[in-house]
Amino acid sequence: MTTVLTTCPFCTCGCGLHLQADHGHLIGSAPSEHHPVGQGKLCARGWHAHEAPTWGQRLTRPLLRRGGEQVEASWAEAVDEVFRGLSGVLAAGDSVGVLGSARATNEENFLAVKLVRGALQTGNVDFCLRAGLQPVVDGIAEVTGDPWPPGRLLDLERSEVILLFEGNLAETHPRAASLVAAAVKRGARLVTVGWHRTHMSRLAARHLPVDSGAGYEVITGFLAAVLSGDQEAGTGTVTPDPGSEALRASLAGLSVDDPVREAATWYASAARASIVVSEGALLPDEARNGAAALAMLAAVTGHLGRAGSALLLLPSRGNQRGALEVGVRPDALPGGLPFDDEVMIAKLRRHWSREPSLVTGLDAEAMVAGCRGLVVVAEDLPAVIQAGRAGLDVLANHRFVVVLDSFATATARAAHAVLPVAAFGETDGTTTSLDGRVQRVRACVSPPGIARPGWQVLAELISRFGLPCTYGSIGDLHREMTDLVPLFAEIGEGQLDESWGALVSRPATGPEVRLRAVDLGRRDPVEGPCAAVFDEAFDWGSDPSVVHAPTLCRDHVARRKLFPTGFVEMNKVDADRLGVKPGWAVRLTSKHGEVTVPVVVSGEVAPGMARLPFSARDRVGVVLGGRGRAGVRVERV
Amino acid sequence: MRPANDVHGRDPGASRLLAKSDLVSWIRRLMDDAEVIAPATGAGGDLMFAPVSDPEAVWLGPGNPLQPPKQYVLPQTDPIVRIERNGGGVQVSSISDERTRVIFGMRSCDARGMAYLRRMQATDLPDDAYLRRADRVTVVTLACTTPCTLGFCVCCDAGPFARDGHDVQLVDLGDRFLAEGATERGRAMVAEAPFRPATQVDVVKRDELEREAERHFGDESAHLGAAMRRISTRRVAEELWEAMSPWCFECGGCNFICPTCYCFSVKDRCQDHGWERCRTWDSCQYSAFTLEASGHNPRERRKDRIKRRFFHKVSAQYYQRDGAVGCVGCGRCVQTCLGTTDMPAVVAAIRKGVWHG
Amino acid sequence: MGDLFLPEVARIASMRDETPDTRTFALRLRDDRRHDSFSFRPGQFLELSVFGFGEAPFCFASSPTRPDSIETTVRRTGQLTNVLHTLAVGDEVGVRGPCGNGFDVEAARGKDLLFVGGGIGLPPLRGLIWNVLDERDRFGRIQILYGARTPTDLVYKDELRMWAERGDLELLVTVDRGESGWTGNVGMVPTLFDKTDLRPATTLAYVCGPPIMIKFVVQDLLMRGFAEESVISTLERMMQCGVGKCNHCAIGHCYICRDGPVFNFKQIRELVE
Repeated sequence: MTTVLTTCPFCTCGCGLHLQADHGHLIGSAPSEHHPVGQGKLCARGWHAHEAPTWGQRLTRPLLRRGGEQVEASWAEAVDEVFRGLSGVLAAGDSVGVLGSARATNEENFLAVKLVRGALQTGNVDFCLRAGLQPVVDGIAEVTGDPWPPGRLLDLERSEVILLFEGNLAETHPRAASLVAAAVKRGARLVTVGWHRTHMSRLAARHLPVDSGAGYEVITGFLAAVLSGDQEAGTGTVTPDPGSEALRASLAGLSVDDPVREAATWYASAARASIVVSEGALLPDEARNGAAALAMLAAVTGHLGRAGSALLLLPSRGNQRGALEVGVRPDALPGGLPFDDEVMIAKLRRHWSREPSLVTGLDAEAMVAGCRGLVVVAEDLPAVIQAGRAGLDVLANHRFVVVLDSFATATARAAHAVLPVAAFGETDGTTTSLDGRVQRVRACVSPPGIARPGWQVLAELISRFGLPCTYGSIGDLHREMTDLVPLFAEIGEGQLDESWGALVSRPATGPEVRLRAVDLGRRDPVEGPCAAVFDEAFDWGSDPSVVHAPTLCRDHVARRKLFPTGFVEMNKVDADRLGVKPGWAVRLTSKHGEVTVPVVVSGEVAPGMARLPFSARDRVGVVLGGRGRAGVRVERV
Repeated sequence: MRPANDVHGRDPGASRLLAKSDLVSWIRRLMDDAEVIAPATGAGGDLMFAPVSDPEAVWLGPGNPLQPPKQYVLPQTDPIVRIERNGGGVQVSSISDERTRVIFGMRSCDARGMAYLRRMQATDLPDDAYLRRADRVTVVTLACTTPCTLGFCVCCDAGPFARDGHDVQLVDLGDRFLAEGATERGRAMVAEAPFRPATQVDVVKRDELEREAERHFGDESAHLGAAMRRISTRRVAEELWEAMSPWCFECGGCNFICPTCYCFSVKDRCQDHGWERCRTWDSCQYSAFTLEASGHNPRERRKDRIKRRFFHKVSAQYYQRDGAVGCVGCGRCVQTCLGTTDMPAVVAAIRKGVWHG
Repeated sequence: MGDLFLPEVARIASMRDETPDTRTFALRLRDDRRHDSFSFRPGQFLELSVFGFGEAPFCFASSPTRPDSIETTVRRTGQLTNVLHTLAVGDEVGVRGPCGNGFDVEAARGKDLLFVGGGIGLPPLRGLIWNVLDERDRFGRIQILYGARTPTDLVYKDELRMWAERGDLELLVTVDRGESGWTGNVGMVPTLFDKTDLRPATTLAYVCGPPIMIKFVVQDLLMRGFAEESVISTLERMMQCGVGKCNHCAIGHCYICRDGPVFNFKQIRELVE
């Protein structure tokens, strides 16, 4: 029996876990007692981290498309064909793009960036889960001046008040939920904001229901209450400035309900108070403004950057923060640095011995739709793109699709070339947790067949495209990353190999805080008696790490079996009014389209809301027409 | 001469001594014939039961690894049947794990856990493969002379000194260990050098240490008896289980970390030329644990699953069926629970009739 | 014999479609000697392995008085059963068992017997029915009441015809909804009670079917004077090991796979979580 210490790959809380193997197979997962975040605990996913690599349908040998089939090939043949295929696309004047992934390590994502900006000389690099995250990051950065909001998960334990904007925290980020619960047990007041009743709302001192699905109104209400003169701003010391005046002016006259006012008072007058915002909690068209408003709320109350008061942004999956920070984005350099950052350009030039591409490229959705040549790293597109399963049809139009993955996903089956890579537990690397801890993941067993670590495969592809890229070990790669990824620069020599990785330093805040007016402008009114929204944005049931884990997939499989064409959740009050019982068909009609699905009666959904499963978006998404929310008319069929 | 307060009916003549200076060489001797598993500080500073490579690194200080040693008789993924498909049809065979092992430095609570698990697998329809594996494991415990931070073994009669589940118990007497063979194998183990006979003084010291240890627990933290009565007569209000349910996050940790939990599912894992059917740890706290193929789930609500867990652990009905309560008081669930629904907290709530979160 | 989790390899000897989604499989253990010494009681179940897809419990649908084949009737509901339905005669499956307690055939001797089946509930009763019919003179009156949603959903259609033609039992069949060509009873199973003469004092009633049907039938029988111990049914739960170890099927401290699946109504009533 062998054991390695690694980091849980699922929700971004980044708990430490011991992965166990016997006879060359992963057999178990156990929590790390001394891990600063995990503290001897794991959630259901963490306890089964060993399952997906062992039980999943694995890619074990390179595959190349011949006629209508995929046939096995050697690595040499496969790499050759990838080179020829993608070069052919470039030669024809068409675009090539590379998708990194929240399921990939920092090293794999970094090399995806190097492949694009170094070897292929374009700007088409992105990852599918960035789109939901970026506006929230940008909104907060507008105010704080830093690429990531300050705060640690463990701050929650010391907070007296916690404002939670969630999808369903207990399901999406169980360890964070656990820390919130621990705070509540110690007497903290929890305020949950959302359009349905969740597990955490049952622990809350106050649940602020949001109708028509917009948390933005509550956030602006908090700000207005806090700024309306008679609110003591914590022990805050915000120096007045034009931005502050504009902010006050924009909120003057906004009427605020008593419960919102009360919650705002709790937050403002607490010595330590935290804001937790889950990526899917803010609707897409409000994400940036909502995030900026939250950052301003923390700033004007003096909580921004204070120990014990966190502003926590929870990405939905795995290594989302890491992917963003190593530069998997079409519009910036590693670290989010702009294209005119001469210092970074010089470093890139030095390491890569050539000019890096400083072009703004296509984003993920545009790449999937339009790049004739596409490299997909560790991602099953139907699980993460807006179009769902329909998105796969688009791939048929591409001239050359390369997939690097461990699992035989639908995307892999649609590829021209499949390069099998090592899964979690089979490769070394690092991932970055939501609060900035860069931690090791370690290999415990060898990958099956002739699959190889993803970073090695990418390095080989980069070399094949004419940019020599040889690393004797992962340490060599880290040395390059330390120079080229700003956050990695803060990691001391050897720190990654100490048990708890490196907690990247807290960014400075203070005079750089920038306040501005809040936009209370018109949003599309929700027409129709009901508002339809998607449930939590991340569908674990379609993620290969869960769907291939026999213990974890059970709930998801059962639900999909029960409702193969999707469903809609409504409150009993609405179901009764329509005269429908659970399972009966209803038709939802919006200005974007209509769909007929069975109804599930749920006490969690607020009256007036129709909650649709993101996992069935292929089928039901038509009524939302690509928006976060739409007014619908619901009729019994 | 039998000591006056010999409550365990042991034969003082079976008490032996091991000088501490002989410990390392004795472990080395054990390593010649078996895989020796013992607590040691592993990655992350975590104390873990692991195969010993350096006997000097064996941890004999206070504290118990968070992972119980049950994984060595009941791994989280446990292959039990090999299914091979070749040209001539399917061949099935049992998979046996008969590695000879000594688990050294186990504590009394975990020894009780091992005994409990063995009983579960041996009764009614015996699981012979499990028993063959467990038979090849020898257990050498180290008695606890001070309570661990979270433990409450006295409430479960599982400590601080071992009651069952062990072959040899070592008691730290300062510069030497008193070694008690509890089974035939254990007695044989301590019969020869480097073990030598103990004296009356040693045995008296040992008994003093046991009484002191029990006294240290003081008014213990989990009154299982009262809880057992209420659970068994169904006098726990449904509202109490309901009040607990938002404080459980369904991680399953309590089941996996518990020395006496053994719920499992059976799944076939693909191999070249066939499959390995594996027993895999499962948790009665997961909603799909009782989900039927028709879609019906008799324990749909979390409160019913929590209620189920504590019925299995602490009811008189199970106590009668199994001869032991389903808790050894190791305190691990207190550490590992993502929420606050650990054994002492739930038992206290049942006793008092109120849940404080 | 052998280890607790080790299946025997069996071959599909023959198959018969009962309805569009239900098929009866007749199995023979690959080792003849093992097949000949394999014994079970009606009401017990086997753990059937579809190699590569796992194992699931299915009740014996045949009688131990007819040992040539071991039969089970399976409806397509999920992954494993769907794959099972794609197998052909001669294909190999795994059989582990017999599991569970089975019907107490001895206790039924000399008694009048009432069998009430609904839909896919007839298979476990069928084994007991044939067992009883093969030793007809050891039992009293036999009444079989059976219903399904539609005539197409009736299982064992040929045997229903055979039983109807026998003079030593009474058979009443009904459907919830008729189809063209159906001239028999229409109505739920309890409507058959008024079409026959029940004798609660001397009769043991065996009831199998969907939970909702069992509930109404049992209520009706109790109201008509059947003792709780005389109304016998089978309980279903999610099962994995089938041998009382994995804990999936436990209700209270009772294990459906060991103490059941056959229980009388008094026992069922006392089974509390």
